Amino acid sequence: MYRYDEFDTAVVRERIEEFRDQVSRRVSGGLTEDEFKPLRLMNGVYLQLHAYMLRVAVPYGTMNSGQMRRLARIARVYDKGYGHFTTRTNIQYNWPALSDVPAILSELAEVEMHAIQTSGNCIRNVTTDVFAGCADDEIEDPRPWCEILRQWSTIHPEFSFLPRKFKIAVIAAPKDRAAMRTHDVGLQLIRGEDGETAFRVFVGGGQGRIPHIAQEIAPAVPGRDLLAYLTAILRAWNLLGRRDNIHKARIKILVASLGIDAFREEVERHFATLRREDLRVPDEEVARIRAYFAPPPFADLPRTSGAFDRASLADPDFARFARNNVRRHRQPGYATLIISLKPQGGVPGDITADQMDLVADLAERFSFDEVRAAYEQNLVLPHVRLDDTPEIWRRLAEAGLATPNADLVTDIIACPGLDYCSLANARSIPVAQALSEQLADLDYQERLGPIRVNMSGCINACGHHHVGHIGVLGVDRKGEEYYQITVGGSADEQAALGEIVGRSLAADEVAPAVGRALDRYLEVRREGETFLQTVRRLGADPFRDAIYGAFNAVA
Amino acid sequence: MKIVTANRLSDGRVIYADASGDPVGALDQAGRFDGDAADLALSQAALRPATFVNPYLVEVDGGRPSGRDRFKELIRSQGPTVGNSLERP
Repeated sequence: MYRYDEFDTAVVRERIEEFRDQVSRRVSGGLTEDEFKPLRLMNGVYLQLHAYMLRVAVPYGTMNSGQMRRLARIARVYDKGYGHFTTRTNIQYNWPALSDVPAILSELAEVEMHAIQTSGNCIRNVTTDVFAGCADDEIEDPRPWCEILRQWSTIHPEFSFLPRKFKIAVIAAPKDRAAMRTHDVGLQLIRGEDGETAFRVFVGGGQGRIPHIAQEIAPAVPGRDLLAYLTAILRAWNLLGRRDNIHKARIKILVASLGIDAFREEVERHFATLRREDLRVPDEEVARIRAYFAPPPFADLPRTSGAFDRASLADPDFARFARNNVRRHRQPGYATLIISLKPQGGVPGDITADQMDLVADLAERFSFDEVRAAYEQNLVLPHVRLDDTPEIWRRLAEAGLATPNADLVTDIIACPGLDYCSLANARSIPVAQALSEQLADLDYQERLGPIRVNMSGCINACGHHHVGHIGVLGVDRKGEEYYQITVGGSADEQAALGEIVGRSLAADEVAPAVGRALDRYLEVRREGETFLQTVRRLGADPFRDAIYGAFNAVA
Repeated sequence: MKIVTANRLSDGRVIYADASGDPVGALDQAGRFDGDAADLALSQAALRPATFVNPYLVEVDGGRPSGRDRFKELIRSQGPTVGNSLERP
């Protein structure tokens, strides 16, 4: 994985000292809160309901064991002993004192991490496919390009005061495992006609109160022109995007109002004026960064594993874990292992310091010292030997980390909601917990197959409810929590927004209503058809009927 | 009746102004003010930016938050209703 060079180290160190001074001036009265707020946000510090919240970037979701142990230490020393992984592969701490934040940032810098640009109107942490470097459908590892984007976008003077935040995701396979088209810019790495790396570019995706799926703006931008093309996109938006209304400032609004063709013309106009050679990453620099992401020294192993097969036969619990949480790796004899952060009745994305330490140990011993944060608020050990999976599973199980529900209905994405967030209208966590408890039967979950339930506590959609196969949105109705349900959303390569099925429901009605929709799916599905395929075939009506039929019968 | 609430600058914790305008951590220790007195208490809190961050008024009825944001204010006063924070005060 990438290691900081002298420039990275200097930038991060200087930024910490700058922020230490800003905190000091805020405390001494030299800065007002209005002056301080944008400064703290650019360093990942929010002020939430109960405390400050610090969001730490995990660039493209990749960490080593030392970094994970440091995240554990920060949770233990400066917070309440846990952290919360988000859909943008960041980790959030809910209780740091402002006065401790400079020390926390210093601790992060020691392991080459930071919180720069995890908030504010700038280019945020670049995300990617959690199976990068593992998946057999991948054209090439997308992470070198993510790192190039990270370096280009960090404290970029032209793009530090954008109309709003700007999020980029990069994938390198036809299968989208990074919700790429929900981003302001989505990049799909492809092979260009010349055989070189190129990018299919999508623009104008986003969720929030006005959701849009990103549209294709360019079919094949050569890798050497990627930074220039992105500069042109950002420049067009920076100049034309609205700054008078926070709700209409994202690039999705500009793209939708101009139309993709007119926006493309704007971008190409800027692209034509750029000195592209100045924005071209030298080949040797691309090669240097690529070298950091070279495949680890895999052993030459048989495709199958006796230890794995024996454990699967001997222990039904391991067999279930293997079915649901162990994924095929392109290297024979290896697998990618998903660590679900969705225990039955737990808080989606939360992990304790002790659990983080265990994951670090497992990564160090079994996965070439690498662990990933996933879009789905889970962790992944990317490169483990099939032979080792039974032992890893046992150790995960001892720590409460072996829930065998990856991509099943209780693998719920949920934002912190009104329990923590100052923007939320309703709680997300208790509703997710209720659903998790109601659907705890793993046989039933496996019968249902892959279903993604996403929950947000407000229309800002941090829980990605718009693209959940089933989405749940918390709303405020005269001071009471209610929840709107959507079906048919998808964040994959066939990205779609869910359809609202009816009136909002009280909190205690949500889990039973979702349960009825799931039962209806089992009644109407065809052989081998997933929930999403069934919704796409039949539309929302059968699920609407299931959800509201009980109420209508009473009425 | 209204109370003044804010977050404390040093650690972000929820605080209230007591009857003297000093910060307290518990809602039941908050001073309750009527009309102009509430506006005055708010302005006094705003004059202490090294303690009170973003102070504002909250309606209370019988010592509990009332009005449209009553549930949010109840959670602010009592902490998260679920999750890991509960086990680690």
